[in-house]
Order: sequence, then C-alpha cells, then structure tokens
Amino acid sequence: MTTKLIRGLLVWFLWAAADPAYAADAKPIATAAPIVSAAEKEGKVVIYSTTDSVAAAPLLKDFGALHPKITVEYNDMNSTEVYNRFVSEVAAGGGSADLLWSSAMDLQIKLANDGSAQEYKSPEASGLPGWALWKNEAFGTTFEPITFVYNKRLLKPEEVPQSHAELVKLLKANPDRFKGKVTCYDPERSGIGFMLLTQDARTDPAFADTIKTYGKVGVKLYTSTGAMMERILSGEHLIGFNMIGSYAIGKQRKDPNLGVVYPKDYTLVMSRIALIPKVAKHPNAGKLFLDYLLSARGQEIIANKAVLFSLRSDVQGEYTAAALNKALGTSLKPIPVSTSLLVYLDQSKRLEFLKQWQEALGTK
Amino acid sequence: MRAVQWYRVLVVLITATAVFLPLGIVLYQSVLDAPFFQPSAKLSTSAFRFVFADSDFHRAFTTTALVALGMTLVAVPLGSVLAFLLVRTDLPGRSFLEPIVLIPIFLSPVVLGFGYVVAAGPVGFFTLWTKQVFGSAPWNLYSLASLTLIAGLTHIPYVFLYTSSALRGLGADLEEAARVAGAGAARIALSVSLPMVRPAILYSAVLVFFLGFELFGLPLILGDPGGLLVLSTYLYKLTNRLGVPSYQLMAVVAVAIIAVAFPLVYLQRRLIGASARFVTVGGKGLSPRPLPLGGWRWPAVALVLVWLGVTVLLPLSGVFLRAFVSSWGEGVRLAKVLTLENFGELLEYPNLVRGILNTLGIAIFGGALAVVWYTLIGLASHRWQSRWSRALDYLVMVPRGMPGLVAGLAFLWVFLFVRPLSPLRSTLFSVWLAYSVVWLAYGMRLISSALLQVSPDLEEAALTIGATRGQVTREVTLPLIRFGLIGSWLLVFMIFVREYSTGVYLLGPGTEVVGSLIVSLWATGAIDIVAALSVVNVVLVAAGLGVALRLGVRLHG
Repeated sequence: MTTKLIRGLLVWFLWAAADPAYAADAKPIATAAPIVSAAEKEGKVVIYSTTDSVAAAPLLKDFGALHPKITVEYNDMNSTEVYNRFVSEVAAGGGSADLLWSSAMDLQIKLANDGSAQEYKSPEASGLPGWALWKNEAFGTTFEPITFVYNKRLLKPEEVPQSHAELVKLLKANPDRFKGKVTCYDPERSGIGFMLLTQDARTDPAFADTIKTYGKVGVKLYTSTGAMMERILSGEHLIGFNMIGSYAIGKQRKDPNLGVVYPKDYTLVMSRIALIPKVAKHPNAGKLFLDYLLSARGQEIIANKAVLFSLRSDVQGEYTAAALNKALGTSLKPIPVSTSLLVYLDQSKRLEFLKQWQEALGTK
Repeated sequence: MRAVQWYRVLVVLITATAVFLPLGIVLYQSVLDAPFFQPSAKLSTSAFRFVFADSDFHRAFTTTALVALGMTLVAVPLGSVLAFLLVRTDLPGRSFLEPIVLIPIFLSPVVLGFGYVVAAGPVGFFTLWTKQVFGSAPWNLYSLASLTLIAGLTHIPYVFLYTSSALRGLGADLEEAARVAGAGAARIALSVSLPMVRPAILYSAVLVFFLGFELFGLPLILGDPGGLLVLSTYLYKLTNRLGVPSYQLMAVVAVAIIAVAFPLVYLQRRLIGASARFVTVGGKGLSPRPLPLGGWRWPAVALVLVWLGVTVLLPLSGVFLRAFVSSWGEGVRLAKVLTLENFGELLEYPNLVRGILNTLGIAIFGGALAVVWYTLIGLASHRWQSRWSRALDYLVMVPRGMPGLVAGLAFLWVFLFVRPLSPLRSTLFSVWLAYSVVWLAYGMRLISSALLQVSPDLEEAALTIGATRGQVTREVTLPLIRFGLIGSWLLVFMIFVREYSTGVYLLGPGTEVVGSLIVSLWATGAIDIVAALSVVNVVLVAAGLGVALRLGVRLHG
C-alpha cells in the first residue's frame, strides 16, 4: 500500500517537474520584485560549479524558461579549480563569478569565513533545515547520502554489509577474498575524501579499528566516485565506501549491476554549498539564481532530474531529504554547514590526521 | 646587416618574455610562504624545507628517474630503428604504416592509460582471455615495470619523428657507397645512416628522458591502484594535501623539475659538438633509393606490427570497447551490454560542438601560427654564433620543465595580473599562447634539426652573388627546410589536439577544448562520456592527419 502510494506520488512529481508551467503555478519563487528587475537589467549570471553540466542542464533550462532575459554562464570544474580560480581572480581585482556552487564544503566555508561572501537574506532559506545555513552567507543546496557501492554480480545478496560495522566484519572474516578489492577516496588527493574520512572519525566509535581493517585488505585509493564505480562494476574491485550517493544512483539507473547501500549505523549526508561572492558583477542575478536553487521548484528538479537529492522537507519523491528521513531516521548524519569544517584546514591538524590514516594503512 | 641583428635580438626578447613571465611567477612563488598575491606572503624557504623533508617527494623522485631512464632505453633504440625502416628501406607497406606509427602521440595519456586498464588490467578483456587460454596472465599492469614499458613504447613516435625527419634530409650518397662496398641494411643503419642523424637521435633521447619527468596521465591512471608516485602525481597530490591549494609547494616541485632540465640541455650540447660534422644536404646529392632488407623484410614487419599491437591496438580497442558498452569486466557478456547510449549522452553535452571547433581551430591555425613563431626563432639563431643564440637554446627548453598543470596555472596568473593581457584571458589566444610556450621545445627541435642540415655553402653561394640575408632566408633556407616545417606543423597539430593538462585552468566559455573537457569530465567521474569523447577525439585527429598527409604526399611529388 505505502509503496504504491510512494510510487504514485513519484510519478505525479516527475510529471509535475516535467511541466514547468505547472510547477510555477504551484510554488512561485519568493525573490523580491526589485531584485528580479535588477537581475534582469544585469542580464547575466556567471556560475562556477562542481556539479557537472549534464546534471545541471535541467536546472539551467528551467531557470532560462523562467528568466529568458538572463543568460547563464555555467562553468563546471573540479573543486580545487573553483577555489583556485576564484581566489586568483579576486586578488587580481578583475571580478569573478556571481555564484560559487561547490561540493568542497570546507573550502566554501573558508571563503565565507574569510569574508569573501556577501550576506543575503534569501526568502527561500526558510525552507532549509538549520544546519544547512551559515550566517545568510553559505547555503546548503542538496542532501546527498554517502553510501556503500558494490558489484551485484560478484557479491551475494546475503553478504552485502548494511552498516560500517558489518563491512568491517565482512572484511575481517574474508581477508584474502577482499585483498585489493575494497576502494575509497584518497584523503590525500581528494578534498571531499578527506572531509568524509574526518566525519567518519567523529561518528564511528570504532574508527581506529575500522581503518586498520581497511589497511589489512589493502584498500585502493582513487580521486573520483566515477573512477571507483567503473572499477567496481568491472569486478576489479568489489565494494567501495564513502561514495557520493547521488552519483551512485545516477549510475545505477544505467547499470543495475551496481548495488547501493545506505549504511544503517550512520549515513553521512553532504550538501553542495552555494555562496554569492562580494565581488560579484551581477549580484542580483546571483541572488535570483540562489533563490531558484533553494526554491521548491528548483529543488524538485534537483531531486527528480538532476538526482542530487532535495534538501527541502516540502519536496517529495524518492531522492529527497523527506524520503531518506523516513527510511533512515536518526542514522542520517548531515555534515553541518558551519565553521567546524575549518578544523582540518589547519595544516598541522590535517597532516596529523593523514599520518594516523597512513599508519593505520601501513603505508608509512 | 645591422637590421638582421635587430630582428634576431627582438625574437629572442619576445620569446624570453613569453617564457620568463610564467616561469618567473613560479620561481617567485617557490620562495614564498603563501600564494604570491596574498598581502601576507613573506619570503621564506619553508616550502623547500617542507618538500625536501617529505618522504613522498624522495620516493616520487626516485621512481620518476627510474621510469624516465627506462623509457628512454626502450624508446630511443626502437624509435630510431623504426625511422630507418620506414624511411630508408623497402619495408613492405611502409607508406601505409607511417601515419599509423604516430597514433600514440594523438591520444591523451589519460585515455591511453584507461584503454590499457580496460584491455589488460586485472579484469581486462585481454587478461581474461589470456587466463582462459593459458590458465594465467603473468603481468601486473600497475607495476613499475609495466608503467616504464608502456611509457617507453608510447614515446617511440617522438624519437621516430625527429629521426625520420633528419633521415629524410640525408643525402643518399654515403649509403650508396656502403651498399656498393657490400654492406647489408642492418650494417648500413648502424654504421652509416643512424650515426649521421645522431643530433636528431640525441635530441629525442634527451626529450624522452625529460618527458619521463613530467609524465602525468599514465601514472595517474596506472599508478593509482599500486600506489606508484611520480613527481607530477606528487605535485597533483600537493593541491589537496594541506586542504587549500599550496602553490608554494607545487612551485618547489616545478623548480625541482626545471633543475633537472638544465643539466640535460648542457649535456645535449656537449654531445652534439660541432654541428658542421653532420651537414648532409649539400648542393648536389643522389635522390635516395630504398635499401633492400632481403631476408629481414618480414621479421622487420612483424616487429613493427607487434609494437603497434601493444601500443595502439590494445589500448585503443579498450577505449573503443568502453565507448560502445554500458559495462565490462568479470562476468559481463559483452554482446549483451552493447549500446550507443554513451554517444547519445555526449551529444547532449553542452558546449560539445564549440569544444570540437575550438580544438580544430587551435590545432590547425594555432598550430600553424606556432610553427611560424618557432621558425622565426629557429631562423633567428641560424648561423648566428653568439651568446644570444646559446641562450636561446636553453630558453626553449625551460618551459618543458613546467608540468602542463603548473604552466596552465601560471598562464592564468599572467593573464590575470598583467593588465594589458587581461582582456584576452577568456579568448582562445590565452590557450594558444600557453600551448605554444609549453610545446616550444618540441617544435623548435624539429625545426633546428632541419636547419642543422642545411649546408652553409648554398647560403654562402647566394650571398656571394649579391643576395641579402633576407633573400637567402626566403629563397634558399626556407625552401630547403620545408619538409621539416610541414613535419613540425603536423606534430604541433596533433599535440594541440591531444593536449589536456595545460588548458584546464584556462577552460571557460569560449575556450573549451576537447582535451581539457576530457580531463574535466574525468575528474567528475563521467567515464561514459569520456570514453565516447575520446573516440571522437581519435576520429578528429585521424581525419586531420589524413588530410595533412595527403597534402604532404602531394608536396613530396
């Protein structure tokens, strides 16, 4: 009965999201009129983003339909490039993007904390949970679970670990079978990988033992979820942890051999952070786009078309905070949009943490 | 005469500016303790101390030196023999083989590496097949030996290009003499032809060794699972090691790589000695006749084909296979997963068409423009015995010391902080300049190899009958080196199409190029699109090369 209801709702929402006119009628975006007209006068919004163009395309298309007078200049790059380019451009004084939208949560908070972001009381921010907002300067925009990913062809259903503890148990019980078959982000080379691992250290009571177990099976380290999924699907590896769930679901839709697990003991949740730089040349257009991202209309597309998981509780569907909350409840651990992310940008603390990781892995 | 000197000095100065602006920023950055544009940045040796105390750096340096040495030992002998076989002998099918042997340079090493994983990785189709037939597959794709061997094999075309270009300019009289005296093809190759093109071979040896120091794409893919670290991947690691990008540490690694470059250039000059010893294009000469290989014909063809199989067919089949399936590997029935969806997805990719047009534009026109610039530099130092010309030799080698990624970032800074240039930043000019400077060494070597073989007596003859220096250049020197120039343009075309790391930081609306798009998509993990885009890239280059070769063939006749 409930699955039927959920499926019905899903179909309804897919249909609603597919029809921009309908969605617009349902929930208009609350940007103040003067900002809208100023934005239209600016005529352009420049975005630096880590969300790839393909995933962002439905958002850009819908935004373009709403505001045909505003050209969106969308630059997708990796998180280090977003940061590098932005700080270099600010230092050169020639202006930069109107919106930074990045999954490197720590770097985004650093920029805001260093005073690079401008304050904006977004009327749409009321739809966000408290942890997703920092000082009206940095805004969480997505609700992406961090998952396990495994190869369904090569791992039997009863073997699939449902929690971090079960994963450790599985690896300890079959050290030879999993030798070189487990994969995760390299915290030394990937900012996101590092951030996720430090969150594990905070959340997993047996963290020290967990990483030692990873070390024993010779965990293989990569720099993107895509690269890891490719090798898991090919059978070179069997299972990966700390994988970005939105990418995993996107891949699973194309290749059903990919299994995705939301760990039951705790599922970390990351959120792409958006901010409007002080140096924005089109600040009003930046605000307009931010409001759009946070609005029910934008979030519905984020949930159902971009599959980045909606953050708002009033957006329904399979890939939303609402659905995840229902399924996982308190085991969901969103990474707060706050200055606590800055702890490990301190050089000595960071190197210390990496040393601990390398010692556990036995690579140092 | 004075005007000529002026022109020469001017070329040196412009080139020096283009080289030293980005290099200067990198050097300056290496002795600071923070990004150079931050007001709080102070002079400090802390970056050097950090890097030199890091055990990862020592490990990376040793590995890099081993790989560079190993790949030179593989590439140089095979590459020069290949050049001799294709240019000087009656090897069957050589006109067909010639464009094909260049293919490894066209492919972004990232793509090539990935092709190897799909083909010969632990669950690659070739590996699985070998296991099925022989019971086991006795190689480990992720080992140091594999990386070195693959790097060596994929760099053979560089040696081939330099050596074959020089061999083509060689008068045939000495070879004829050797043949008349009864020497076989192998003897002629080892004692006559190849020794005569020693400058070209040595240039290419030094370059290949040096390329080993900035190898990035291959170790990025193949070094990952085995934990192999080379200098460029160490540098890549430094972008994230401290959370925020640590430019000063990256700059130190770049400086270390540049420091390796200088002794190499010095060594190269010492080895070559007096260039007059190698003058072979004189006013008279026999048109070369192919040397008969006799019984060696078929073994020689087999050798070439085996190399092509391992270096081109294997990884390319991996890439193509990956582009047309939705999944692969252990337990996958390939017939069941065939799909065109990857290309469908690629077509939907925004900016794809602009990216392809930009790539072609920068490769064809930008490539030609770069060759013009390189030729001007070459002519500037031609027959010019002065300290300036020696300085030029070092100058053109310097940018190669900067790994593409760092050079790209340095050029972003140049276009940001040098006011008169900043309007040009989001135009293709920025990409062109960065590419042209980064690849200066290659283009230059090809052109100067060609210039080296022009005998002074022809030029002097023209001067004696009253021609001006300019006339000599236009009527004598340039026509004599036209094959070298075409070869150079071809090389630059291919390299610009394939180039991937330099453009990453300059990438933006209007400056998208396929190589950088591949890297950018690779970083986000969109491997389906990367595979499809790689196929498009290969097809583009193949088409471009086909056209250029037709043109070249016509010019030969």
